[in-house]
Amino acid sequence: MKKLFALLLAAVMVLSLAACGAKKEPAAEEKPAAEQPAETPAEEPTADSDMAYVQNKGVLVVGITDFEPMDYKDADGNWIGFDADMAKAFAESLGVDVEFVEIDWDNKVLELNSQAIDCVWNGMTLTDEVTSAMECTNAYCINAQVVIVPADKADQYQTVEACADLAFAVEAGSAGEAEVDALGYNFTPVKAQSDALMEVAAGTSDAAVIDSLMAAAMVGEGTGYADLTYTVGLNSEEYGVGFRTGSDLAAALNDFFAAAYADGSMLECAETYGVQAALIAQ
Amino acid sequence: MELILEQMPVVLHSLNIGFLQTLKLFFVTLIGAIPLGLIIAFGSMSRFSPLRWLTRLIVWVVRGTPLMIQLLIIYYFPGLVLKNNWWGSGETGRFIASAVAFIFNYACYFSEIYRGGIQGVPKGQQEAGMVLGMTKSQIFFKVTLLQMIKRIVPPMSNEIITLVKDTSLARIIALQEIIWAGQAFLKGSQGISGAIWPLFFTAVYYLIFNGILTVLLGRLEQKLDYFR
Amino acid sequence: MAILEVHNIEKHFGATRVLEDISFSLEQGQALAIIGSSGSGKTTLLRCLNFLETPDQGQIVVQGKTLFDAADPDTQRESEIRKKRLHFGMVFQSFNLFPQYTALQNVTLASQLLAKEQPDFKANKANILADIEVHGKELLAQMGLADRSGHYPHQLSGGQQQRVAIARALALKPDILCFDEPTSALDPELTGEVLKVIRSLADQKTTMIIVTHEMAFARDVADQIIFMDGGVIVEQGDPHQVIEHPREERTKQFLARYAEN
Repeated sequence: MKKLFALLLAAVMVLSLAACGAKKEPAAEEKPAAEQPAETPAEEPTADSDMAYVQNKGVLVVGITDFEPMDYKDADGNWIGFDADMAKAFAESLGVDVEFVEIDWDNKVLELNSQAIDCVWNGMTLTDEVTSAMECTNAYCINAQVVIVPADKADQYQTVEACADLAFAVEAGSAGEAEVDALGYNFTPVKAQSDALMEVAAGTSDAAVIDSLMAAAMVGEGTGYADLTYTVGLNSEEYGVGFRTGSDLAAALNDFFAAAYADGSMLECAETYGVQAALIAQ
Repeated sequence: MELILEQMPVVLHSLNIGFLQTLKLFFVTLIGAIPLGLIIAFGSMSRFSPLRWLTRLIVWVVRGTPLMIQLLIIYYFPGLVLKNNWWGSGETGRFIASAVAFIFNYACYFSEIYRGGIQGVPKGQQEAGMVLGMTKSQIFFKVTLLQMIKRIVPPMSNEIITLVKDTSLARIIALQEIIWAGQAFLKGSQGISGAIWPLFFTAVYYLIFNGILTVLLGRLEQKLDYFR
Repeated sequence: MAILEVHNIEKHFGATRVLEDISFSLEQGQALAIIGSSGSGKTTLLRCLNFLETPDQGQIVVQGKTLFDAADPDTQRESEIRKKRLHFGMVFQSFNLFPQYTALQNVTLASQLLAKEQPDFKANKANILADIEVHGKELLAQMGLADRSGHYPHQLSGGQQQRVAIARALALKPDILCFDEPTSALDPELTGEVLKVIRSLADQKTTMIIVTHEMAFARDVADQIIFMDGGVIVEQGDPHQVIEHPREERTKQFLARYAEN
């Protein structure tokens, strides 16, 4: 009995230690941010700033998922896409190399905070959850959430109200989930937007809600989901890039976006990947 | 069907690369966990009680928590809490972290199987060795070991086949094994998007590989069938 | 001089005293039978002689050399106990053959391992191993198992297994051969062949201690008999006298109960 008690005690101690470690961590993150006055130009990073950290190691690690047309591989296995190309240009402006790392989307905040990656740059919708957990840039793309249904039933579901009785599949934690939840519709959270599409294709759900950019690339004629189509658009969402909380890189990227928009290189890049219509003026 | 045939070369190439990663993790785990499990088994049978309790506590924690959580902790803990992500960001670092988690996890499972195997060998075998003037290590290697191996082959076979499938858990820290490779075509990769079949097709790889393993382990079991 | 002298052995398992003040001696070439009901301490006594148990009190002296003295820690070193065990051979009730080895390998394994410790092993490896094998085959032939040397234990009958176990114990040429109820695990029709082998060993003047329930066999083969009860020696002496005309009341009761069964 004594031994059992000692054992439990040890377990509690280990857990509480871990909890302390976790609590300390955001505090340590906030400190440099608080010390750094807002007016400090991003070009003059303080010694322990995030920019200095990235420049010291000489590489900007960009967390992505395979997501056409934002980040995807060309035939030679190189990462391309609107986000990928802009990330390359931004890294060049910082004087560092760029490295693309595929991550599990659910773990993006973990990946950032553990310094496994330096930013999330992958058509990320700026939800409240995202902006509270990361240092985000200004929005650079508009993206709507659209309802996906089988093409032969599309006629019946052209309005938001008409979709009320459908069973939805949505990506857990996505903007689409927030939309259907707000409408009070019946939905099942799945692991990825692509899983939501599979649910509809398999008939296990009636409809899905995904990004319009993704919908354009993935459903309809000539895709793997030729039998699906998208109908009504729900609320519009905006894309941004996320850095670690308190990072000075977000401000630097805002400046970079403004410059690239002004000289037309951002629009040019957007046209290459067919997303020019969604581009937001910087 | 035509579409699938068209996509086949690209998909197979990608799945092969993913499966190579799966195999690498599988073999590295076995090579690490089989001897480490023996060390843990001896620890959990030690006559020195603090060591015995510590080992059993560790085994309890590792077996009592999901491997998926262990993967997350091992990969993210250094960067999050110690502020030093010693694994690195790339595929190599993720692989090493996965290997560490798998080796440790499986070593704990193996250690319990070993312990059962060692304790299952009748005490009389050890005593017979002792009265014949054998040393402890001679008794272990010449008398007990083979009898223990015979006892543990069936439960080890089960664990090994489970390991093949468990490797897919490593995708939680973005190790790009075969299921990850199969799923990529759902979201869109290399010009193919919304393709469901590659994900399901990964099952064929697992089935074939596990089929080969089952035959090999069955042969080993047969080979040890010459004594009882 | 006696080949074995046992002085005042005492052994406890926790609070239970299983052996108390056990003393006896055995001459070279004699056979000693130990009888008594189960739980009387016979097996524990044999295990003490083979250092499978450590006595709490007493001495064990072989050929005038003190192998064990409970009062002298120098005699209890782990490293030396292994060598001391070689003075005794042990045949277990449940045979304890190594299942993964053939009959011949069971007999020769320990000899091979011991030979490796000899300084001249490397130089004469082939000769030494050949000698060990020849000796092993001789022993199996002596047990009437010449044609079974390549069989694995599970391919042999219980009686054959026990005879292999006897050959295995003899292979190391022990000073004293101990039998712990060698026929108790055997079917009745198989005990004869094992007893016959032990009898022939006695005829060849092998020094032996036999714990047994076979009263007639003990009487015919042993030169000396010990009756134990409750961890003590109750009666000790000539076999015919102890079994046919016991002096002690407890011995009489035991033999009477035994005759009934």
